[in-house]
Amino acid sequence: MSYISKELKQGIKLHCIDTKKFKTNLFAFFITIPLSKNTVTKNALIPALLRQGTANLKTQEEINIKLEELYGATFDCGIDKIGDNLVLKFYMETLNDEYVPTKENLLEQATNLLFDLILNPFIENEGFKEEYLATEKENMKTLINSKIDNKDRYAFNRCIEEMYKDKPYGLYKYGTIEDLEKIGPKDLYEQYINVINNYKMDIFISGNIEPNSVFELISKNENINKLQDREGKYILNNEQTEVKEETEITTLEEKMDVTQGKLILGLDIFNNELGAKYITKIYNVILGESATSKLFQNVREKASLAYTTRSNYVYQKNNIFIRCGIEIPNYEKAVEIIKEQLEDMKNGNFTDEDLVNAKKYMISGLETLQDEQDSEITYYLGQELSGTLVTFQEYMDKINSVTKEQVQNIANQIKINTIYFLRN
Amino acid sequence: MQIIENSKVKEKLYIEKLENGLTIMIMPKKGIQKKYIMWATNYGSMDNKFVVPGEENATEVPEGIAHYLEHKMFEQPNGTNSLDTLTALGVNANAYTTTDHTAYLFECTDNFEPALDELMDYVQHPYFTDENVEKEKGIIGQEIMMYDDYPEWAVYMNAMKTMYEKNPIKIDIAGSIESIAKIDKDVLYKCYNTFYHPSNMVMGVAGDFEPEELLEEIKKRLIKKEKQEEINRILEDEPAEIVQNKIEKQMEVSMPLFVIGIKDFEGVETEITAKKHMTIEIILNMLIGKSSKLYKELYNKMLLMSEPYVEYEFSKNYAHVAITGQSKEPETILKELQNAINEMKQNGINEEQFERVKKMIYGAYVKEYNNVSDIVRMFVSDYFKNINSFDYLENFEEITTEYAKQILEETFREDRTIISIIKPNDTLSRSE
Repeated sequence: MSYISKELKQGIKLHCIDTKKFKTNLFAFFITIPLSKNTVTKNALIPALLRQGTANLKTQEEINIKLEELYGATFDCGIDKIGDNLVLKFYMETLNDEYVPTKENLLEQATNLLFDLILNPFIENEGFKEEYLATEKENMKTLINSKIDNKDRYAFNRCIEEMYKDKPYGLYKYGTIEDLEKIGPKDLYEQYINVINNYKMDIFISGNIEPNSVFELISKNENINKLQDREGKYILNNEQTEVKEETEITTLEEKMDVTQGKLILGLDIFNNELGAKYITKIYNVILGESATSKLFQNVREKASLAYTTRSNYVYQKNNIFIRCGIEIPNYEKAVEIIKEQLEDMKNGNFTDEDLVNAKKYMISGLETLQDEQDSEITYYLGQELSGTLVTFQEYMDKINSVTKEQVQNIANQIKINTIYFLRN
Repeated sequence: MQIIENSKVKEKLYIEKLENGLTIMIMPKKGIQKKYIMWATNYGSMDNKFVVPGEENATEVPEGIAHYLEHKMFEQPNGTNSLDTLTALGVNANAYTTTDHTAYLFECTDNFEPALDELMDYVQHPYFTDENVEKEKGIIGQEIMMYDDYPEWAVYMNAMKTMYEKNPIKIDIAGSIESIAKIDKDVLYKCYNTFYHPSNMVMGVAGDFEPEELLEEIKKRLIKKEKQEEINRILEDEPAEIVQNKIEKQMEVSMPLFVIGIKDFEGVETEITAKKHMTIEIILNMLIGKSSKLYKELYNKMLLMSEPYVEYEFSKNYAHVAITGQSKEPETILKELQNAINEMKQNGINEEQFERVKKMIYGAYVKEYNNVSDIVRMFVSDYFKNINSFDYLENFEEITTEYAKQILEETFREDRTIISIIKPNDTLSRSE
């Protein structure tokens, strides 16, 4: 595998991952925009409109027919909140030409189609097609309303919303119904033009490819050619930028028709040193990420309180979130056991073996990541957005150098910010 | 070892059936760091009544026991848990239970051999005590309750209950709080001794291996077992007809969820092939897939937000089509789908659309070979259906519109069609 990146224009970067492990080529196109209350709803709606038609293929049906002809190329788009940014994501996956029974040149066809979809949309009267907009607004409304369907995720999002009230990271990535209602075809198109002209773009290609010929193929694409240089401003989030303030613990309970209670604890990390990320990652694995973690062992295995219990670390925001599904009357007992685990970590009540295992777990995860095209791309996007380029080897070295004292030290800089409980 | 080569995806499968009856399948993948192994037994949630080889009378066991057994396999006499031991080796270990098999697996980059030691040790040495069996009731109880909150699960299970009258596919894989209460260590041992015999098991591996060497490593770790006769599994006769054509339930969801099912129980009598499976997938995509006329209409009417998930689910003991989605008006979806089926039956199959969708299905099967875990999962689950996964690529060209027409007539029957719906609660009982 080799990774090369090259600036196509100012603010537009091409990243090539040359690998022979897959039957497919995967293209990814990311546009990164700082989150703000005023634009999030519009930006979230853009991919949904782009999917409806291009200047050449005017309906979703025509696009889908084209994709099927390309041996079931898949086009996928979506949005993600990464730190204080909203990332518009577009993916196209095709078979590598080597595995196609007929001669097709899928690589070139797929590249052209992807760029057409993102950069050459179907426009009517200087705006998105009204009919399409009406449908997509309705769909988005349903999507926003369906927040309640997955109770675990709902509880998790509610906890974040409470911790980041009136702050960009507290915004729901799809925005709000109130803002959605106000969007018209012209102002959405204006925002689209703004996005296309001013924000950071990262184009990834992973597969059995020749980076130079890919570069050539992409540079001569007319949709890419017409893009201008841009500043490409976005919010840089990492362990150094996120400074926490001391607060009292917020406790919150909400009711819904659930059989199982969903308990979320949001933790703040009070450490802004460069490289603290690697130590916190290890801390989090020992606390609640792996099957030998303290949470899994004590909340699930010893106390039989939960089926799911885990924690995840959001390094962009210097937070850890603990999530469990528990029987409702066990709320207090579960919180107590979780607090005991946090205290244990502070007191260094974990073994050298725990540390070694956590490292192994992390390293194995990093190695596996290179066998999955989309995960590898996500890794490099993460590097790009946190302003670093740490190779897999360097990453592993940093993980391996973490000591028990460092983990205990971090443990003493972690505090509960919010306890959220969804119950009946 | 027997070698089967596939020129389409340029992969080779090495197969060996050992004397004790265990089948081993290995797919070498040069240059891939990830290694994946799965050891599975042909024993799932449907195997609740059977005659133990050598016994006369049938044994009936509590619902959910195969899954319970899966949870308990990790316990060791010295108090350790094999899942922890494997995790400590830096490997990602797991297990799961389906309707027809239980699988133990791990995925790793390093430490394959010590992890293989552990996997083969714990699967061959169960250790159940009254205490450790009792403790699991709380955990599995929570798991059952967690599934109770998933509308996707409820709508699916209701669809099964509506299609099948006697067939145990209609029972929850994990059983119920009441049924698992009856499980004790003796019944677990009985099930283990019956179903975890090598002749009832298969092992699948993919990664950067020399197949012959790996085979030796596996053989070294097998304990000797007496030959076992075939297990007689007792299933009540299932009628070809459905139980009822509709079922509804209310839950806290924002929009109704639905599963449209078409029972194909007659299909079970003749063995279901890769060819038939793919043909049904092509038909389903032509009917309601993302390039279909029907999907476009329903999307424009805002009755579907995204294309429904279509699947032909089958084993040796059941077969049905399942179309899963979300819509404001599930019944309209059913009606329109029914019309589209009738139209296709009358007008025949559009050649151009057929060829195009076929290409797409082909592409999807090639993509399965991207990942060692997908490869092993596919080969193992197909194995229990008597299918070699390569057949999907090999039989692709044999699928004609004539054959599709025949399958359409046989399988897509209106009188075998059901709908299961989860409707939103009348009032959303949400309070701050």
